[in-house]
Amino acid sequence: MGLLSEPGKLEVLLGNEAIARGAIEAGLDVAAAYPGTPSTEIGEALSAAAREVGFHFEWAANEKVATEVAAAAAWSGLRSMAFMKHVGVNVAADAVFTLAYAGVVGGMVFVSADDPHAHSSQNEQDNRLLLRAINLPTVEPADPQEAKDFTRSAFDLSEEYGLPFALRTTTRVSHVRAPVVLGPIRERRGKGRFSPDPPRRYVQVGRLARAHHRELLEKLSRIREEVAEGGEFLRVEGQPGAELGIMTSGVSYNYVWEAVRRLGVEAQIMKLGMTNPLPEGRISDFLREVDTLLVVEELEPVLEADAARLAKEANPDLRIVGKFSGHLPRVGELDPVSVTAAVAEAAGVEFSPPSRGTGAGIDLPPRPPVMCPACPHRATGFALKRVAGRAAFMNDIGCYALLFQKPFELADVTHAMGSSVGFANGLSVATDRQVVALIGDSTFFHAGIPALINAIHHGRKFLLVVMDNRTTAMTGHQPHPGTDLDALGREAFPLDIERVVRGLGVENVWVVDPYDFEETQKAIKEAMGRDGVSVIISRRECALLTVGRLRREGKKIVPYRVDPDRCTHCLVCVKTYACPAFVDTGEKVRIDPAVCFGCGSCVDVCPFQAIVPQEGSLDWRRDGYGV
Amino acid sequence: MGSDELDEFNIIVAGVGGQGILFTSRVITAAALEAGMRFVQSEVHGLAQRYGSIHTEIRLGRDVRSPLIMPGTLDLLIALEPIEGARFAGYMSGKTSAIVNTYMIPPISAFVEGRKIPELEEILEAIRSAGPGRLVPIPATELAAEAGDPVTTNVVVLGAAAAMGALPFDEGDVRAALGRVTPERYLEVNLRAFDLGRDFVLKGAGR
Repeated sequence: MGLLSEPGKLEVLLGNEAIARGAIEAGLDVAAAYPGTPSTEIGEALSAAAREVGFHFEWAANEKVATEVAAAAAWSGLRSMAFMKHVGVNVAADAVFTLAYAGVVGGMVFVSADDPHAHSSQNEQDNRLLLRAINLPTVEPADPQEAKDFTRSAFDLSEEYGLPFALRTTTRVSHVRAPVVLGPIRERRGKGRFSPDPPRRYVQVGRLARAHHRELLEKLSRIREEVAEGGEFLRVEGQPGAELGIMTSGVSYNYVWEAVRRLGVEAQIMKLGMTNPLPEGRISDFLREVDTLLVVEELEPVLEADAARLAKEANPDLRIVGKFSGHLPRVGELDPVSVTAAVAEAAGVEFSPPSRGTGAGIDLPPRPPVMCPACPHRATGFALKRVAGRAAFMNDIGCYALLFQKPFELADVTHAMGSSVGFANGLSVATDRQVVALIGDSTFFHAGIPALINAIHHGRKFLLVVMDNRTTAMTGHQPHPGTDLDALGREAFPLDIERVVRGLGVENVWVVDPYDFEETQKAIKEAMGRDGVSVIISRRECALLTVGRLRREGKKIVPYRVDPDRCTHCLVCVKTYACPAFVDTGEKVRIDPAVCFGCGSCVDVCPFQAIVPQEGSLDWRRDGYGV
Repeated sequence: MGSDELDEFNIIVAGVGGQGILFTSRVITAAALEAGMRFVQSEVHGLAQRYGSIHTEIRLGRDVRSPLIMPGTLDLLIALEPIEGARFAGYMSGKTSAIVNTYMIPPISAFVEGRKIPELEEILEAIRSAGPGRLVPIPATELAAEAGDPVTTNVVVLGAAAAMGALPFDEGDVRAALGRVTPERYLEVNLRAFDLGRDFVLKGAGR
């Protein structure tokens, strides 16, 4: 397989796979993470390789735990890595801020995968600022080759300086695929040894914390001198002596490189691979050489603020073009059009951006992501909408957040992992409104439990629906503490959510199959009438897992169909269940056989019994699939 | 064709999540790797995949760095669904070849919200009026069913694109790449689908 091919070989790798390979080349011993786009494929690659190579990898309950697992391994002299999406760093922050004071013995890399444009996220936070606040040295690759090479170097440097190194990517590095030249794989250490030296190295209280803070700043200052200024991660290219300078890092460099070429302008390009600490001396030299500086970076004007600060001393007359001047956006990701336009502006040449959109004056219906055919969340949403539609809905992070869309509209709030339960606490204090909190199984384990404990302790009244689809579905089916296998496919102890909530003291608990509309609606009605916290566990595995199992068992997926003689075109199916297999032909409804999974859950939705099985169709509820 | 001979060749593969867009892209990059070509490909993972609009951007050639394509510089549009193809009309120019599966998958959200869905002819006209050098509509889903599985729609379209000479590889090289990338048990049906797509073009049905 590509990921473990021999050194010197050219393999096509996703940026995230390249990070995994880089870690393996560096002799990775222990890795831990919680899945989140755009970081997940680092873990998918490590899961696939762990047994063969022999290192440990786990999908941890959340990012903070993952960071602590990796940190303890690095304290024990092993090489370790924790990785997460940008908002995962918020969860890990409590651990990693202090970890910078503590330092490490074995090399440790901390990966933050940022998501400019919020392709798959709730915000566009720029973790370069957070990583600076934590005081982690930070490298930023521009493409898969650098993703591999920088990861490997970061391990060595981390060990040399006794400080975790951060690797920060953005979506267009994480999710870009390109040929990568592989390097040699260093031998692993296997078992570590924990013996803090000095003995209170990892004890952070007032006096010790202050001393460790001072040490941390000294390490950073050495890294600035020896690594950043040394130029391992720094490249200056383009036309020597050109009046236009461009400073950039990460994927933005690629847009700059092509823009300069496309426009045929003369420019010197400074590409920063290490963005904390900065090579301030080298940057100052660069600023002295140019009349205009364009700073191209995604999200916040971080490097631009540094350039402005350094220019006061180095070149007070420097004209700086970027975000402060309004030439590049702080919202969304950069692209060839926005960067080429900025380069043209800085160089004083013409560039008319080609048109975007369809360019043909036709109104195309948007196609947002929707719940899959047979998705159990659709069935749970259908029941909630029918009997609890007037409640305030606190939704959470997972596929079920898609219930915000029509026709369900079951999300007054979607926010952060576990927030549904926290907000339900607050609303039940602040208002008399009926409140329903929705959360998935993986998210429940990640951050839902402390908020539930708070609600039970304070006697809050709301309904919590745990939409238990037996996996972490949105990121591609990773295991979690409730599943019976771990990241390496080994047996693991599956925590039972019903026992967890009963153990915490919840008395009103129902477990339902959402495909059973009647039972589910009855449970919701009863639960809404009870005092205190009620919990409904709506349990049915992700439909994609069921379909996969059916295919493996050699069962044929036979779609359902609509009997046109019975269909009155009332559109109740489309307007209340909204399965993507439904097609409104204008006169009848049709089921697209290429989309339908043949689950049979929609049969009871039709008031005219027009949805019928075909020869060989299964009925997942009756036949016991997915539960 | 080696990497020295090609400055830049831009491809978009567009469709609906689940149509095999990543697989199609993998075949193309496998052919590129074999030809010793430099390339970079941008793709979509995560929630965005759930039956939503999906596309990859593949850039081949000596001078490519950016993972995203500049609108107006597209060489080849492979549309596995017509609405999804039409979204990239603004990327086309006279040098663009567009191959468009004619099987429509209307988005469920449009029915829920009572939105009008344009007719196939309107969509093809919109693409045509954006001025691609070549536009080949192909009933790929029907041909895929003929090959034995509608899931091979993407491979039919790929076979057609290869036969049009719309890729910077020989048709045989694309077919060989398909063979390398396909798992053993789907090989037969995939090759059959590829050949049906190729034959559709060779018979001139798309002209």
